Amino acid sequence: MEIRPILSAMSRNKVGAILIAVQIAITLAILCNALFIIEQRVASSKRPSGADEANVFVIGNQWVGNPPDLSARLQGDLAALRALPGVVDAYASNSFPLNDGGSTTGVSLNPDQETPTALAALYFADEHTLEGLGLKLIAGRNFTSGEIADKAGYTDFIQPPGLIITRVLAEKLFPNGNAVGQSIYDEARRQKSPIIGVIDRMQVPWVQGWGSNFFDNSVLEPFHLVVPRYYYIVRAKPGQLVPLMQAAQKKLFDVSRSRVIRKTETLVSARDEAYKDDRGLVVILTVVCVALLAVTAFGIVGLTSYWVAQRRRHIGIRRALGATRNAVIQYFQTENLLIAGAGAAIGVVLAVALNLWMVTAFEMQRLRTGYALIGAGAVLLLGQAAVLWPALRAASIPPALATRAV
Amino acid sequence: MLKMTHLSKAYRTEVVETFALRDFSIHVREGEFVAVTGPSGSGKTTFLSIAGLLEEFSGGEYQLDGANVRGLNDNQRSRLRNEKIGFIFQAFNLIPDLNVQDNVDVPLRYRGFNAAERRRRIQESLGRVGLSARARHYPAELSGGQQQRVAIARALAGSPRLLLADEPTGNLDTQMARGVLDLLEELHRDGATIVMVTHDPELAVRAQREVHIVDGQVVDLAPPPRLVTAANAHP
Amino acid sequence: MFYYYLGLALRSLKRNLVLTVLMIAAIGVGIGASMTMLTMFRAMDHDPIPQKSRQLFTVQVDNWGPKAKGKIFNDKENLQTQLSYIDALGLMNAHAAHRQSAMYVTGAALTPSNPDLLPFQVQIRATYADFFGMFGTPFLMGAPWTAADDAAHADVVVLSRELNDKIFGGANSVGRTVNLDNHEYRVAGIMDRWEPIPKFYDLNNDTFGKSEDVFLPFTRAIDGQMVTWGNNNCSGAALPGSGFEGRLRSDCIWLQFWAELPTAADVERYRFFVNNYAADQQRSGRFTWPPHTKIRDVREWLVHEHAVSDEVRILVMVSFSFLLVCLLNAMGLMLAKIMGRAGDIGVRRALGASRRAIFGQCLIEAGVIGFAGGLLGLLLTALGLMGLRALLSEQVSRVTHFSATDIAIGVTLAVVATTLAGLYPTWRAAQVQPAWQLKAQ
Repeated sequence: MEIRPILSAMSRNKVGAILIAVQIAITLAILCNALFIIEQRVASSKRPSGADEANVFVIGNQWVGNPPDLSARLQGDLAALRALPGVVDAYASNSFPLNDGGSTTGVSLNPDQETPTALAALYFADEHTLEGLGLKLIAGRNFTSGEIADKAGYTDFIQPPGLIITRVLAEKLFPNGNAVGQSIYDEARRQKSPIIGVIDRMQVPWVQGWGSNFFDNSVLEPFHLVVPRYYYIVRAKPGQLVPLMQAAQKKLFDVSRSRVIRKTETLVSARDEAYKDDRGLVVILTVVCVALLAVTAFGIVGLTSYWVAQRRRHIGIRRALGATRNAVIQYFQTENLLIAGAGAAIGVVLAVALNLWMVTAFEMQRLRTGYALIGAGAVLLLGQAAVLWPALRAASIPPALATRAV
Repeated sequence: MLKMTHLSKAYRTEVVETFALRDFSIHVREGEFVAVTGPSGSGKTTFLSIAGLLEEFSGGEYQLDGANVRGLNDNQRSRLRNEKIGFIFQAFNLIPDLNVQDNVDVPLRYRGFNAAERRRRIQESLGRVGLSARARHYPAELSGGQQQRVAIARALAGSPRLLLADEPTGNLDTQMARGVLDLLEELHRDGATIVMVTHDPELAVRAQREVHIVDGQVVDLAPPPRLVTAANAHP
Repeated sequence: MFYYYLGLALRSLKRNLVLTVLMIAAIGVGIGASMTMLTMFRAMDHDPIPQKSRQLFTVQVDNWGPKAKGKIFNDKENLQTQLSYIDALGLMNAHAAHRQSAMYVTGAALTPSNPDLLPFQVQIRATYADFFGMFGTPFLMGAPWTAADDAAHADVVVLSRELNDKIFGGANSVGRTVNLDNHEYRVAGIMDRWEPIPKFYDLNNDTFGKSEDVFLPFTRAIDGQMVTWGNNNCSGAALPGSGFEGRLRSDCIWLQFWAELPTAADVERYRFFVNNYAADQQRSGRFTWPPHTKIRDVREWLVHEHAVSDEVRILVMVSFSFLLVCLLNAMGLMLAKIMGRAGDIGVRRALGASRRAIFGQCLIEAGVIGFAGGLLGLLLTALGLMGLRALLSEQVSRVTHFSATDIAIGVTLAVVATTLAGLYPTWRAAQVQPAWQLKAQ
């Protein structure tokens, strides 16, 4: 297919061709960046929490007032929960992965370090935590019941006899892999505690924003937090989660009615809730991308149809002079390829520029070039698909048209 | 009515300047029916475009209905066109979206007549061409001859001082062509000033006077053959 | 002439129905998408207290010093976004502003008087009497507590209308008591519905959340050792001691502070005062760094605290780029449509239509498309907002309602945008030479 006559025909419809090319360029720029954001959000919402999510639920418990026997009440509740049929294990804590609220601590290798070596989520735990959440111990040992102490609030200074930390944190602190047995310092107390165990994975409670900066850094301290507000975390035997959630709540009210159960939810729904806005963003961007592609495609169909109508006579003459149907189709496809190609070239530049701007304005990540190229391929295909219908219509113009006057 | 003196029209390309009209003079008096003839490319259409204020000219003078039209701007020319000139095109040029009466209505709208006046003029001019019954038909539903009658009605509706016809029968078969010509002659008898461009000498003889253009100049202002001959030519 | 053009436009649109539908759909979808996002953005970017947003100021005092640079809750200027108890109380006791209040969010279990009902959780804002006057909160019954109550650490509360409906069935409960964590409080007043969006006075805790159920004197909350239920950060400083007492003496940040400064002179004076306060802290040896403070009014604070999330900004941007694509699209189709009618336009010109007449005719046609597109866009916006409410968290969906202003903006946007998009094709139409049609085809 010769390109020169196409170009000269196009130059007579300059503005239309430019409009399509610009549309394709913007479409590509948005498409690449949207797909990139979508991919990141989807990947981030699938990050494993380390817990046996399918079988774990949490109960937000709040005692009325500040009863003096909080410690006994907590122990009593736990005993009652663990005794329920269908319970694998249960424990009490300040927070849990996917909760979107909790505590952080800075951990250091030296006592007088100005900036901590790593930031980590702080979870209070007992000897039932690993089993209660389904965490995997990969080195060292679990807490023993003798090590668990009562902590009368976040600012109650007691020294933990040992810590369990996550693998990622251990690797950051001790790249040589000998974390168990080493001691680390805590930012607030500046006292040292030995690491007694390492678990494979336990996410921090925050899934968005700054939580992502230290996503797999967690520290477990062997404390029962004796304050009026905390969570019970219960792991059910497979298939028993739903009936157990009701039974557990009922059991707790049987033990005492002087409490508020703020919420009872599964980790699955906690995950849904935690990533709701991400999922929303993904859905919105997907809808916008589809609409964008549809609008661009229909724009191409509309404008090309008009060009076909405008050139009916010319096409008829070409046909009369021996052009095959395929040659006519090819003509419009080549024309579209040229326009879409120009648009895609501008679009790739625009996509990268838009991304660079978003990197500075919104702390986004750099776009991988692969995305821009895949996007470019996609819009070229879209153009070819959109032009097919008008091209077929053009091909069906009879050569006899040339002999008719007007 | 229409007076051009030493008028010239040049088309300029990057390479050359060609004159479509050169030292062109013509005078059409009120009530005349003039045929402008000439071979292809002689400048007939350019003459008509300038006469109809569709194009500007490069040099010379043009007086339309006593007024000098040199240097008028686009708006002023549009208004003059609307008020003084009625066009009859070879291809009829009816607007396909509009029905017969709305087509006739087009120049009246731009004239700014009120609704009653427009209605009166539409009825009158459609009656004149004998198409009152077709007022609500669309152009596509009419024969070529009927379409050209509508076009003539549209040209007449604004009571123009001058009718300009460009090959008015060019797209019609013989019988329809005759009908249209009869109508033009009738209009002429009623006092209309008509300038008709045609390449067909047989048509030209139906006019009062023939002006022949060759290479952008009027070459011959000889009186046309008498009407009798013309009648013989079209038995 | 307008109605003539309008009639012509409708006729012409009917003639090319497919093209017309494509154009209206393109514009409608573009307007729908951009209006949906714009409505959400406007709700989030909304001035929650327009009559006073330039007179209400929050205070930042750097109590962590230069070594805390880059810590969470430090902004780019290395200022903390909340205050310590020491500083909140220091500013409060100086009474240097027209009105002022330190505050923080806490909560309690409320035990209903009916023993059959279970206790439930309420959110409490511990604050001073000035809170109500300063923010102009409406009262349904009763009145705010007084400065004397603040001084007396009195057991009084102000309830939200919603809570009063829930526990007192909407009756006038002024003078009655509520039991919060086994302690009785006298109801001083019932606040009428008051939900500033965003909740400007505490952006660190639930930016688009509801306002609190219960308001209680700050002095009383501290006496009752009510811990904060909001963000608390101690990373910038070591704790001097254990427990609630230790936290009060620490540089942990967990409080907000607002001052009302009606005139520019007040603002200047207060800025000077806050700086002096920090200088005093340096002189006393508590701060080992020069004064580093800032006061910001509501609008500045909303911008500073990124009340509108980056995601929403990205969506607004994406949706407007989408609108641009839709308009380019409509422009291309309109161009095709108008140039397809160049013949008719030439005839009209020959029959005496001026350029302006052709321009007007085509522009009205574009406007009609814009209007229809705008209506479709509004419909899609309503659907889009419903979708957003279903998709996004409760926080975000609470702000996405559709006001008359939004509707006006939508229609205007559609008509203006389409007319702009129609301008070039229209201009091209007006350039059509009347002579053209005379030439044999």
